[in-house]
Amino acid sequence: MEAGNPLLDDYVLGLTGTERPRVCFVPTASGDADHYIVRFYRTFAGRCDASHVSLFRRDRGHGAVEGDVEQHLLAQDLVYVGGGSVVSLLGAWRAHGLDRVLKQAWRRGVVLCGLSAGSLCWFTEAVSAFHGAPTVVRGLGLLPHSNCVHYDGEPERRAEYRRFVGDGVRPGYAVDDGAALHFVHRELRRVVSSRPRAGAYRVEPTDGDVVETPLPVSYLGDMRRDLALA
Amino acid sequence: MGGGGFTMEPDNPALDDLVLSLTDKPAPRVLFLPTASGDPTGQITAFYGRFGRTAAATHLSLFRRHGSARSLADIVLEQDAIYVGGGSMRNLLAIWRAHGLDELLAEAWRRGIVLAGLSAGAMCWFAGGVTCSGGPPEPMEGLGLLPGSFTVHADGEPERLPVWLAAVRAGALPGGWAADDGVGLLFRGTRMTRVVSSRPGTAALRVELVAGELVRHRIVPELLGDRAGGPGSRPVPDDVRELRALRYGGRRD
Repeated sequence: MEAGNPLLDDYVLGLTGTERPRVCFVPTASGDADHYIVRFYRTFAGRCDASHVSLFRRDRGHGAVEGDVEQHLLAQDLVYVGGGSVVSLLGAWRAHGLDRVLKQAWRRGVVLCGLSAGSLCWFTEAVSAFHGAPTVVRGLGLLPHSNCVHYDGEPERRAEYRRFVGDGVRPGYAVDDGAALHFVHRELRRVVSSRPRAGAYRVEPTDGDVVETPLPVSYLGDMRRDLALA
Repeated sequence: MGGGGFTMEPDNPALDDLVLSLTDKPAPRVLFLPTASGDPTGQITAFYGRFGRTAAATHLSLFRRHGSARSLADIVLEQDAIYVGGGSMRNLLAIWRAHGLDELLAEAWRRGIVLAGLSAGAMCWFAGGVTCSGGPPEPMEGLGLLPGSFTVHADGEPERLPVWLAAVRAGALPGGWAADDGVGLLFRGTRMTRVVSSRPGTAALRVELVAGELVRHRIVPELLGDRAGGPGSRPVPDDVRELRALRYGGRRD
């Protein structure tokens, strides 16, 4: 849902292999922010069966899924998790049993995607830098790696993440804004990007040091044209 | 509060003024926690509208970044009062626990920081309450700083009351209090010292389970302010309040 840049959204829709996919937005990490929900529908409603799950306004009739949220999520082609606080996200999901439902959706082959907190949540360990110094939080553990987002946007995260991995946090993936990791089951299949220079890195300890290895990234746009414009 | 304060009574500051007066500070530091509703802009704006001039007002978001490197402990423990908004009690407690805020708020309470709130933001302090977080009302455990259970909006959302009474009868919740919109229960430590209201005609209900039977006791609250509730009613200055209390032998806690 980058303004004026549909490349990553097009990519995840393409993964569903369906002409008109059922796409459900889960904006928990933002506190179900109205403006975010509006942005989701603007982006997806035209070409998908779009819906959203609200954990804050379930009895207020804001157009969110009512009734059996579990069955609704399991029936989707794509679940799209918005950004915000990953700690708040996980706390609320666990209180509502949504962690369990999403794991089940994953096992059934529903495509799960998200950005920022909506990326971190799928991993076993994640770097959160929401209040005060960055900390490591425990995600859902579908992907047995660690994850750090906004790697280019927030330089302190880069140093902290490398330090964490050096101190025993499991090896994992660091991702710039605009880059996306595509996993099939637990294996990284591909790294794609919506911005020509966005990168992603494998970060792992080696011989007492922490090594950051750039991963090959497939830019989803027209590289020659967009670099000329940039 | 069973309901009331700036998010529900934009023209009636009686309950909010009482919260401020409990701090005994001329310009108290008041922190708003809008967690239960997901930090909606409307609530935050209304908070500054009500408290911006009378207090050193700030809010703490657990969904949007402040760009502050300060720890939650520093932010919470420097306050004179902490005011919790309404919304989903289930989300509120789960998110607080995920951030460790449950323990910080208990510490704030032990240090004498005034804790206030309405609806989910009131029930959270008790052993339990009745939440509509999942749609229909259901009993839910709270932080347990205050003994007993508490159910809110007794007049505004009457469907909560029978669920609460059934839970108390079944032993799922301890006995406690129900409050109408506008009614506030004031505790010092774990002892209830006053029942107040911003609206005439409202009540609180005390319910206990005695030998398997519910014993109910209706409490008529002390009406706040100068027949508080009318739009434009002015807060009563502290010295006038004290004078009145002395003259009428009113409750001074």
